[in-house]
Amino acid sequence: MSSEPVIEFNNVWKKYSKQQVLNNSLREELVSIITGKKCREDLADGEFWALKNVSFVVERGECIGLCGPNGSGKSTILKLISNVTFSTKGFIKVHGRVAPLIELGAGMHPDLTGIENIYMNGTILGLSIRELKNKCSDIVEFSGLSDFINVPVKKYSSGMYLRLAFSIAVHSTADILLFDEVLTVGDQEFRDRCAQKIAELIALEKTIIIVSHETKMLDLFADKIVKLEHGIITTGYA
Amino acid sequence: MVKRLYAYKDLLFVFIWREFLIRYKQTTIGILWAILQPLSLMLLFTFIFGVVLHTNHKDYPYVLFFYAGVLPWTFFSGSTNFAVSSLSSNFNLVTKIYFPREIIPLSGVAINLIDYLIGLLVYFVLLIFYRTPLTWNFLWLFPLMAMLIVYTTSISFFLAALNVYYRDVKLASAFLLQFLFFATPVIYSIDTVENRWKTLLFLNPLVFIVENMRRVTIEGRGIILWQMAVELLGIIVLYLIIYRIFIRIERAFADVI
Repeated sequence: MSSEPVIEFNNVWKKYSKQQVLNNSLREELVSIITGKKCREDLADGEFWALKNVSFVVERGECIGLCGPNGSGKSTILKLISNVTFSTKGFIKVHGRVAPLIELGAGMHPDLTGIENIYMNGTILGLSIRELKNKCSDIVEFSGLSDFINVPVKKYSSGMYLRLAFSIAVHSTADILLFDEVLTVGDQEFRDRCAQKIAELIALEKTIIIVSHETKMLDLFADKIVKLEHGIITTGYA
Repeated sequence: MVKRLYAYKDLLFVFIWREFLIRYKQTTIGILWAILQPLSLMLLFTFIFGVVLHTNHKDYPYVLFFYAGVLPWTFFSGSTNFAVSSLSSNFNLVTKIYFPREIIPLSGVAINLIDYLIGLLVYFVLLIFYRTPLTWNFLWLFPLMAMLIVYTTSISFFLAALNVYYRDVKLASAFLLQFLFFATPVIYSIDTVENRWKTLLFLNPLVFIVENMRRVTIEGRGIILWQMAVELLGIIVLYLIIYRIFIRIERAFADVI
């Protein structure tokens, strides 16, 4: 397999603010529209670096495990890859469609039925309506919820809810899949099935990034484990 | 905007469909609410101004007069009201997944447009029922609707984006909408207003739109072209400015929301 970088981080810095009201940031954005200048790159009061000078390259078909304590910048990296937020300094290149399975069921609505939520969540993850029509029965089958699929999800147990969300997520057609702490879902039987599904996705040469505290899980799948601490990569690409 | 949204057209469609489903889930009369809301408001105004206050508006039925004003107003206030908290209440999506953020307020405009169109059918039924002599001028209704949609969309984007930064917007907008209601000729006609106030009122594009919607349908009068040109230009410029700012600050939504 040729080595083909799909994700590139080049000296990426990301600043966050602890303040509640962010008048400054709106003013800065507006000023930058008019003057065309970039935002400030130094720290102001109440701001901190969530990522400090992070660089790495992920190649096509690789499976990377990210681990580190809370607040070490794992989720920030996923957000940067999925374009939800932007780096303060440095540049990021991503080639291919990204499915951010960051928080399962972010797009679910309690009043909608399982099947309605499959369409809702599926399109949020970048599937087209036509793709979803084809995959709908697969998703239902994988979730094992066919008896409850026409019930509003507010009546689901939390386990059922996550099963449905995960089933939608793994049927994404994206090239890059981001998993954030999602593999601790459901009972043992369902987890085994998830593990098998991830192995299948890896075999399909999808690029996968998994964030987890469970190093056991990461050891199982990841080609490379990256440890983060206080926004700095300590092992892996250091 | 079209170019930006094309790749996400399925998502926009599903968002509209979702809002539509949620709206009428667990309701018994469902879509009838779309007819009932403007209709009951119109009846209330008819009662207050026709029965209680005996004000004399025009030489045609109150029912038509108020309904013609209530419809575009409900569309505008419904859409903007939805938009204000649309981004901030969907923060779990905004902070986790990227898609063009305007999809969320836009879906609010779309479902209100559906209600508006249903209300418009009722309006046509009323026009026929009261044997209003229609002239070809009523075709002006459609360009006026287009202007209303663009203006409503701009204001929706503006309020939705600003509410991401300042939650004051939600509180202020409820009050502002009330204020704007009286600044829009829903319960009066601009013809009864003195000339020196008229210029001031016409700064609000809704005045031109609502007043003329009534004129071209019920009264069969045409519109004043230069006024239309000025208002249209104003609406387009406003839209371009707001949309440009929206796209620019959209990048930061996930960080500040």
